[in-house]
Amino acid sequence: MIKYLTRYHPHYITALLYMLQASEYKPKDYSAWYLRTKDFSTVARRRSLVMTTKAKLLLILLWGLVLIQVMCFAIMLWIWFASDEVGWLIMAGIVTLVGPFVTAYVVLFPLWLGQIVIQRPKQRRLIAAAHQKLAAHKGLRIAVAGSFGKTTFKEVLATILSEGKMVAVTPGNMNTPIGISRFINTLTGKEEILLFELGESHVGDVKELCELVQPNMGIITGINEAHLITFKTIERTTSTIFELADFLPHGPVYKNAESELVRKRAHKNDRLLYSRRGVNGWAISDSTVSINGTHFTATKGQKIIWAESGLLGQHQIGPLVACIDIADTLGLSVSQIADGLKKTKPFEHRMQPRQLHGAWIIDDTYNGNKEGVKVGIDLLCRLEARRRIYVTPGLVGQGEKTQTIHTEIGKQLAAASIDVIVLMRNSVTAYIVEGLRQAGFQNELLLIDEPLQFYTNLEHFVAAGDVILLQNDWTDNYA
Amino acid sequence: MPKATIRSMKKTVAVIFGGRSAEHDISIVTAIGSVLKPLELSQQYNVLPVYIAKDGSWYADMKLKDIQLFTTGGIEAFCAKTKKAQLLFDNGLVLIKSGLRAEKIKIDVVFPAMHGTFGEDGSLMGLLRMAHVPFVGCDMTASVIAMDKVLSKQVIMAASVPTPKFIHFSNSEFAAHQKAIFEQVEAARLHYPVFVKPAHLGSSIGITRVIKPDDLQNAIEVAMHYDDTVLVEEAVTSLIEVTVPIMGNDELTPALVEQPLTKAEDFLDFDTKYMQGGKKGGGKRGAQGYSKLPADIPESLYNKALEVAKNAYKAIGCTGIARIDLLIDSKANKVYFNEVNPMPGDLYAHNWRQAGIAPVQLVTRLVELAEARFARQQQLEVTLTTNFLKQF
Repeated sequence: MIKYLTRYHPHYITALLYMLQASEYKPKDYSAWYLRTKDFSTVARRRSLVMTTKAKLLLILLWGLVLIQVMCFAIMLWIWFASDEVGWLIMAGIVTLVGPFVTAYVVLFPLWLGQIVIQRPKQRRLIAAAHQKLAAHKGLRIAVAGSFGKTTFKEVLATILSEGKMVAVTPGNMNTPIGISRFINTLTGKEEILLFELGESHVGDVKELCELVQPNMGIITGINEAHLITFKTIERTTSTIFELADFLPHGPVYKNAESELVRKRAHKNDRLLYSRRGVNGWAISDSTVSINGTHFTATKGQKIIWAESGLLGQHQIGPLVACIDIADTLGLSVSQIADGLKKTKPFEHRMQPRQLHGAWIIDDTYNGNKEGVKVGIDLLCRLEARRRIYVTPGLVGQGEKTQTIHTEIGKQLAAASIDVIVLMRNSVTAYIVEGLRQAGFQNELLLIDEPLQFYTNLEHFVAAGDVILLQNDWTDNYA
Repeated sequence: MPKATIRSMKKTVAVIFGGRSAEHDISIVTAIGSVLKPLELSQQYNVLPVYIAKDGSWYADMKLKDIQLFTTGGIEAFCAKTKKAQLLFDNGLVLIKSGLRAEKIKIDVVFPAMHGTFGEDGSLMGLLRMAHVPFVGCDMTASVIAMDKVLSKQVIMAASVPTPKFIHFSNSEFAAHQKAIFEQVEAARLHYPVFVKPAHLGSSIGITRVIKPDDLQNAIEVAMHYDDTVLVEEAVTSLIEVTVPIMGNDELTPALVEQPLTKAEDFLDFDTKYMQGGKKGGGKRGAQGYSKLPADIPESLYNKALEVAKNAYKAIGCTGIARIDLLIDSKANKVYFNEVNPMPGDLYAHNWRQAGIAPVQLVTRLVELAEARFARQQQLEVTLTTNFLKQF
């Protein structure tokens, strides 16, 4: 009852606006959060509302809606007093009950209208301009698709290829038609290699992006249950990501053999299936992993590369050797490739190590997939440590498999004998705990109610010699 | 089964700090920085800050967790407008916050984050024993011994733990027999330089290093300004000062042997230790800002230091936590007991962390040790039913 009444607190309006902003004004995400939320007094735990012009206009609209409701309520009461007709009292009660829900949904209307009238025509013009510009561009186009590992692969490849080529790469997670078009419109025309990250959340997304960028070469980094909520089935996810391979029936498409779903879909004898064992004639030996990076030897015929990469984990060897082969194919020398590999380092929030009071913190908070969890646990086990601490809220967007995947994570953690497991308490915590219980976990388990407080006070939880892996982070709209 | 359980009824830990002591301000830093925060983060307890003002009044309020209340001087206004807390001994300790509706808070464990007089010298521990509540750190007897440098050295010597030669006297003895006391120094064959120390104060307050007899009287007068008992102690030559935090009741866990980076002629006085960040002429942090951790000494000496520290801890009867200060004669390879600190400033969390114990682990273990000691004490019979009164 008390939680329900939070809809009548002035903070309710701020909470709605904050969540609209946190869900990037996406009606579906916002509505899902709204339907899930019971207590609106504790919504903004990690960030706070940023007062942009858009936010200010929406705030005025929201308060306007509240004002209208209050006025309706007052008028109805007044009429009831004057006429003594109970119907008006009932109407006033209905307005009071329905008001907060109306406010929450009516605010979406101007957003929708703005998208139809302003945003979409603007986007169409932007994409058309990009098509035109790219048609005249002579650079080789490499497209990277997959449920996970796209950004890392793209950045690593760009780093290595930059040793001998002029490379342009889509920045950050810019992987939608709009984002990629914006990137294309910044190109000078002198670039020799263009690297595109292709995002996917619905069937046909990769095909649409392929038609935009017209790739000459493709990389499929892996497939998992990410975006299962929109794809509905893993088969649809697989087909969507393989739209890249379909677009390049004869062109080279590198595929990650360590991703089970990719391996199943690819031909057994595909020479471009890459893994920690090698690719296209490259063989891997002498691999070692430490907190300082991953080292291995790659050999193909007379060519030998002693690879030293700052990236952490055995799972990085597959993508690295694929990059070696691409660079070799494109004419880079062995020394150029080795120099490029040396420059590869962990990206922000992706297996990124830092020291804190003699402990190593591995920040993998941008990692939100089950493969990442598996390699994270594997890495944690391989590193020397006084205590191994694993911190996670779990994964989002796993659809119907949420319970199975999180129970499995619990089992993996128990099997790895992690010393301390820290879980941010949320809707999937019980599944991980169940997995731990089933696998007979005996070590320390800590359930955290206030994630932000934990992350900002990490120094109080660590001691010298500890290795702490922070894997994934949930924004407020998933909590 | 995982150890973690979602506790429906958390225990309440009262963190007592401040107090009528010269180390009132240091206590605030220890409590807020090293005790309250990690205790709260452990999520295992309801944590109640209890502040004892310089006038001895007690206050219990969640606002006292904010260091800014103290750094901005707002604490005086806070105390002026806040109702004082009252103590009730009701088969345990109950804090009463008076107001329109008096609020009674049952305290399950007390964490005294106090230094110096009344807080660390056994006074508070006596009160808590009377209240029948578990409390963190050394018990009353050990605290009394620890905070009396003369008594602690006598106890240590009785346990055959080496400590530098010394003599001691009271203020009244010095006033009445000054000449005799100087003769006593001669007779004891104390070699200069010597240290003149007040017997009960911590944090190096009132300590002077005297290099020639002419300066002895002045140093004694300085020490007498702070205390009614003074000791004159022979300085250790080729000195390496080290300190060892230890935790435990029966099974002892030492942290690392730490070596403060001060020269013999520039020993750690109060000003150096706390006001200038541990190094004369500048510094940023507290005493831990300038030290070698672990101490840069040969392994055999390191192990000997650990052994002497543990023996001293046991001889004095410490429980919970204490920090043992040692003096090493690096040429003679000898380790001497210097003094014991039953509640180290900031719990020496930096050292524990380096030794592999995180602040959250440290405070929760200390609470567990307090509960274990209390449980053991409960097994002892303290009252007797006799017919003694019936004969009257």
